This record gives sequence, C-alpha cells and structure tokens, in this order.
Amino acid sequence: MSAAAPPKPLPYPDRDSLPFWQGLREGELRVQRCLGCRALRWPPRAVCNRCRRLEAEWVALSGRGRVVSWVRTHQVFAPAWRDDVPFDVVTVALDEQEDLQLIGRLDGAPARGDLRVRARFVRVDAEHTLLHWEPAP
Amino acid sequence: MRDRVAIAGIGWTELSKNSGVSTLTLACRAILAALEDAGIGADEVDGLATHRVGDSVLPPVLAHSLGIRDLRWHLDTFGGGSASHAIVGQAALALDAGLSDTVVCYRAINARSEFRMGGIGRPLVDAVETQYQAPYGYFVPPQQFAMAARAHMLRWGTTHEQLGAVAVAQRAHAVHNERAQQRRPITLDDYLASRWVVEPFRLFDCCLETDGAVALVLVRADRARDLRRRPVLIRAATWGGGFTLYSNEQPDPTTTAAAAMAKRLWSQAGLGPADVDVAELYDCFTYTVLVQLEDYGFCKKGEGGPYAASGATRLGGSLPVNTHGGFLCEGYVHGLNHVCEAVSQLRGDAGARQVEGAEVALSTSQPGYVSGTTSALVLRRGP
Repeated sequence: MSAAAPPKPLPYPDRDSLPFWQGLREGELRVQRCLGCRALRWPPRAVCNRCRRLEAEWVALSGRGRVVSWVRTHQVFAPAWRDDVPFDVVTVALDEQEDLQLIGRLDGAPARGDLRVRARFVRVDAEHTLLHWEPAP
Repeated sequence: MRDRVAIAGIGWTELSKNSGVSTLTLACRAILAALEDAGIGADEVDGLATHRVGDSVLPPVLAHSLGIRDLRWHLDTFGGGSASHAIVGQAALALDAGLSDTVVCYRAINARSEFRMGGIGRPLVDAVETQYQAPYGYFVPPQQFAMAARAHMLRWGTTHEQLGAVAVAQRAHAVHNERAQQRRPITLDDYLASRWVVEPFRLFDCCLETDGAVALVLVRADRARDLRRRPVLIRAATWGGGFTLYSNEQPDPTTTAAAAMAKRLWSQAGLGPADVDVAELYDCFTYTVLVQLEDYGFCKKGEGGPYAASGATRLGGSLPVNTHGGFLCEGYVHGLNHVCEAVSQLRGDAGARQVEGAEVALSTSQPGYVSGTTSALVLRRGP
C-alpha cells in the first residue's frame, strides 16, 4: 500500500480576490458589481473595463448556473491528484450573467454540456474553502 | 515594413527528450547553425530576441557567450507560444528602423528534461487566474486547451474523428522530416485507440514536450539578396489580443484572439487566405489547428473540423498544414520551429515534403488561450 498522496495546493488570494475567498468561507459566491454601469465582473480586479469606474461592491449570487464546457483528467500531472483521477473540472456560466464563467470541480455526476449545477462550498481547513459544483435539482 | 526585412538563415539543434545540455548550449548551437546557413559571421550579430517563461537563456548572457561586444538591440519577452511570432515581427521593426543590422531570434528550451509546461518540475507560472484553477487540479496546458476543444465540440459539433484527422495528417507529413521525433504513420483507428490524457484529448492530440533550440537570422531585404541563401521576406507581422479567456469579456472560447488579429494581418500583407500556399499553424494540441483554420479565414466558424477531415490540409491538398509534422511530431520548440519550416518551404528546400511552387506561407503562434494574446507572420519567397 502506498503512502497518502501529498497535499493539494491551497488557494492563495491576492489583494483583489480576498473578498471572493472570504465569501466562499461564509458559504456565498460573491463577485464584484460596478457602481457605475452595474455590470458584474469576473475575475476580481480594480476597474470596470466597460465604464472605467474604479468603485465596485461585492454581491452574493445564487450560485446556480450551467456547464458550458468540461474536461475529464486521466493523467496524473502532479502526485497530489494521484488518487483523484479520473476527475471532472467544469466551466460554469452563472445564471445572473452568461459571461460570468467560473471553473471548479464537479461532484456527484459525470459532466456533460448544459448540465444545471449549483455551487458547493468545500471546506479544506479553517482558512480555506473551495468552490465545487454539483447537479442542481 | 512590407517585404523590407528578410529571414536569411535558419538553424536547429537536435530535437530530443533529453538534450543533456543547458539551454545556453542549445541556443549557441542553433544560432551558430543559423549563421552558417546565412553565411554571416557571429561578429556581425548586433541584435538578439527571444521569448520564454522563465525557462531559458537571456540575450545578454548569450551575447557574452558569442562574443558580441555591442548588443545594439535586444528583446526578452515573457511569454509562451503566443509571443513566438511577435518577437520576429519586433525584430523586423528594429531592423527596418535601423536600430540593428543583424538580428538573431531564438528559442532554446529543455521542455522535457528540465521544465515541463504547467509547473511540473518548478513552481506554477504566476498568473492571476492560477488561484482559481490550480486548487482544483486544473493547471496544465492539456487541461486548458481541452476545455476550449470541448466547448467547440458542444457548440459546433466538432468530433473526435475530426481532431484525429489533424493528428493523422501531420504524422503522414513527419514521415518526410528527418528532424521529426515521431515518424511512424498512424491511422485514425490508432488515434482513437490512444489513451486518454484529458478528455477530449488523447495521447495523439498532444504535442511532444521537447528539448531543443531553433534560431533565425534576420537582415534587411536589400542585404539579403547578396547572401548565401534565397531570402524569405516578411510580408506582414502582427500581434495582438488583450482579454484572457478567463475574463468575462471573452465568454466564448471557440473564437480566439487570432480572429480579430487576422483581419489586420491580411490587410498589412495585401493578401488573403486564398493566397496562402502552405500554413504552419500552432499545434500544441490538434484542436488549435482547427480553430485557427476558422479564425484565419480558411473556412467558416465551426467548419474547421470538416475542413481538416476533408484532407485539404494534407500534402497535395488545397492548403497543406504543418508540413514538418508540427509540434505533434517534429517537436515542441514553442513556436519558432514553425517559422523555420515555412522558410524551408519558401526556399524550396523541404525535400519530399515540399509544397510545389510555394510562394506565400502563413506561420502562427498560439492563438490566445491562457495568455489572451497571439501573433503571426505572412512570409513570401524572395527574389
């Protein structure tokens, strides 16, 4: 029997993304909304590239969306995923705005195009929670 | 800039899985070979340009090694395959502006034995998006490009067999390339039987991580006429892009940064897709060939798969693509080896894989996945 796989890398928030990761810890999927044109944007960043307004607020979304693409990884590219393969990673277009597309692991069903999904908040430790997806009822 | 700068020499090292030498050594070998090809002495080199992702040798180090006393112009671009053709275009600008008289563009890489793409053997490349991907085990190019390929399959009905047609065609071309690392012909059944790497990619969808180097010598066209080899002229060079495919301005990964840039490229060249005799299209994976056939205007959006499956991209077809076998079979030297093959074709030097009468070639870089940017060259046979 081989030893346990080494630990997976943890998220390393930057100064723009801290509220996103904080949201996941609190069970919410949060993105920025421009205070000028009200457009939602992803990933987090300093300025709205539609109206160039610097001010934005963080808003919680429904966490629901649709799979627009997916991949199934068979090859072990790093030892941390040795026991996970094959696994599915999906790109999800969020219900609130089609062009907000987030990547995450899919649990609970094989991936397919147009699969309806909802966010799952998977706690790794006190400091880190990851965004997974699961089929939505 | 049209036709005012020429590629006067090309050079390679052996392409292998383990060079056993440093990237500095690889670069020196390729550059000396390219200078020999051009009939130009190393003393005359006064410009150096490269691109890299923290995995290669810097121009000033190389200048020291080659005994270049006055490096008048140099360029060290941080970037992967999407930057490969931009450095050639920028070198042409420097020459045309008189900032330099002899520029060598090079890429040296130990991409199999030292630093494999995607962070295997070293830390991940520091991109802002990495934090949203790596924790899910999504961090290597086969995954990132498979995500785009799957989107293309879902949206346009592209099939595994159409991806396979690219792999089979390029292997058939590699049979005629003595540098190619994979030269045994394969069938579509062989392709379909090869193991999954990242669905929808099988083993034969993926390029060969390679140790090796290539170099090109550039001079102004008027000087190139008097040199050893038939010059190949830089007809047009463009680069561009901006949105990464992980930001919400670019929600459809089935159209790349090359689609917008191609309009500028053809305009600058005064030529169009119908004028191209041979195309070397960036093929880190089979899929990027299909999407570029669309985005450079050889077929309509969504029809790259049927176009490749028709046989049009094979030697003898209406648009031979990746006549050296591409990164899939020759090896992955991150972009510039496509330019070298285009030069061979336009000189009429390509032996059994020669496209008869080739006068115009398109050579392209990574079309904009991950990086958001791309670059390309239109080359023309010189006088």
